[in-house]
Amino acid sequence: MTSEERFEPKIVGFLCNWCSYAGADLAGTSRASYPQNLRIIRVPCSGRVDPLFVLKAFQDGADGVMVLGCHPGDCHYQQGNYFAQRRYALMHRLLEFTGLEADRLFVEWVSASEGKKFADVTTAFTDKIRELGPSPLKREQEVLEQARQEVMA
Amino acid sequence: MSTMEERIRDAAREYLEQEKVTCVIGYERSARGVVRPAFIYEADDVERLIWGEDCNLDLVTYLHNFKHPPGRGVPIPKVAVVVRPCDARALNLLLYEQQIQRENVKVIGLTCAGTTIRGEPRTACQFCSERVPVVYDVLIEADGEIDVPAVQDEYADVQEMDDWTPAERLSYWAREFDRCIRCYACRQACPGCYCYECVAEQVEPHWSSIALELPEKHFFHVMRAFHLAGRCVECDACEAVCPMDIPLSKLNRKLAKEVEALFGYRTGDDPETAPPLATFDPQEQLRM
Repeated sequence: MTSEERFEPKIVGFLCNWCSYAGADLAGTSRASYPQNLRIIRVPCSGRVDPLFVLKAFQDGADGVMVLGCHPGDCHYQQGNYFAQRRYALMHRLLEFTGLEADRLFVEWVSASEGKKFADVTTAFTDKIRELGPSPLKREQEVLEQARQEVMA
Repeated sequence: MSTMEERIRDAAREYLEQEKVTCVIGYERSARGVVRPAFIYEADDVERLIWGEDCNLDLVTYLHNFKHPPGRGVPIPKVAVVVRPCDARALNLLLYEQQIQRENVKVIGLTCAGTTIRGEPRTACQFCSERVPVVYDVLIEADGEIDVPAVQDEYADVQEMDDWTPAERLSYWAREFDRCIRCYACRQACPGCYCYECVAEQVEPHWSSIALELPEKHFFHVMRAFHLAGRCVECDACEAVCPMDIPLSKLNRKLAKEVEALFGYRTGDDPETAPPLATFDPQEQLRM
């Protein structure tokens, strides 16, 4: 990549079928533009998003992961997003502790009527990841070699 | 006055002779002097049982071996288990998760002055203010008084790492995880790790390759820690059995710290309260 070329991050988005996926749909039909860096995966509920999905996404080269679900109280399955909220509050802190920037995981509530909000949060998140650069997990081996050399020196 | 060791043997002998249990799970010393779990089926064998500060395994783990009937029409065996205060919390966790039934387990509780791992005092023990198990049937008390340390900042060691930059933390964990040989001893020693098929070995879906490479090791350790979020009792059995000396307790303690800060929950206080990730509060709004 030359210096003029802009870093295009890979972003994986787990979108709840009932709210956020419909929100993304609305963003499309209402001609709101959002970055192409987002790869959307439709899930039945934000409560379905196992932290393993997020971990696996990062391991397989994602630079950022978004988990979007219904607003609290609006879950199609009554309670899925409440579980998700607790889970990701902890997952955030664990990922941060093991060396990933906290901003690379993003959890937000986007309803089916919030097409504009979907476009906005996606754009903002993509910009933030672009600023952060590629995921450090992708060059963990390099980080290790470097740490070894520092220890040797 | 008899020693703790002798009193543990007396309690075990009594249970076996009165046929209240078929097996007593305790600690014994191998021929090479290493502490290992002992499964005592005969009253004559209780002399094998020992107790010392290097008894750093969590024996509650082995209750999983006795949770099913051994055959059709045969009742679930009753067993007695030697527990330290931290192990007693693990027992409460398994009771909540309905892995064991209280009436099938006799608990020989020990008052504990702290244990060591490879000669070093355990971090969790230095901050532990709990010297009596939360659940027991027989209590074996220590010979002398136990000093409870004045705890200033329980998670000072984790806080120190929190203040590093993400790059520094990644560099630290890359070095630590790199040593992992993926023997899964940490998983086997843990009372909370009892899935029939572990994610690390699952083929469908294939979460993680069996390659001995850094990304796979990183994935495994973060996954293992997260599966114990809000369930870990900080018995540090994982760290005790790790052949490569990886500081797994740091990961567990980080999550314990956050769970306590976010939800005010400590694992294993009682067998009725749900761990934080198994329940929710519609009112709460968590900072992500």
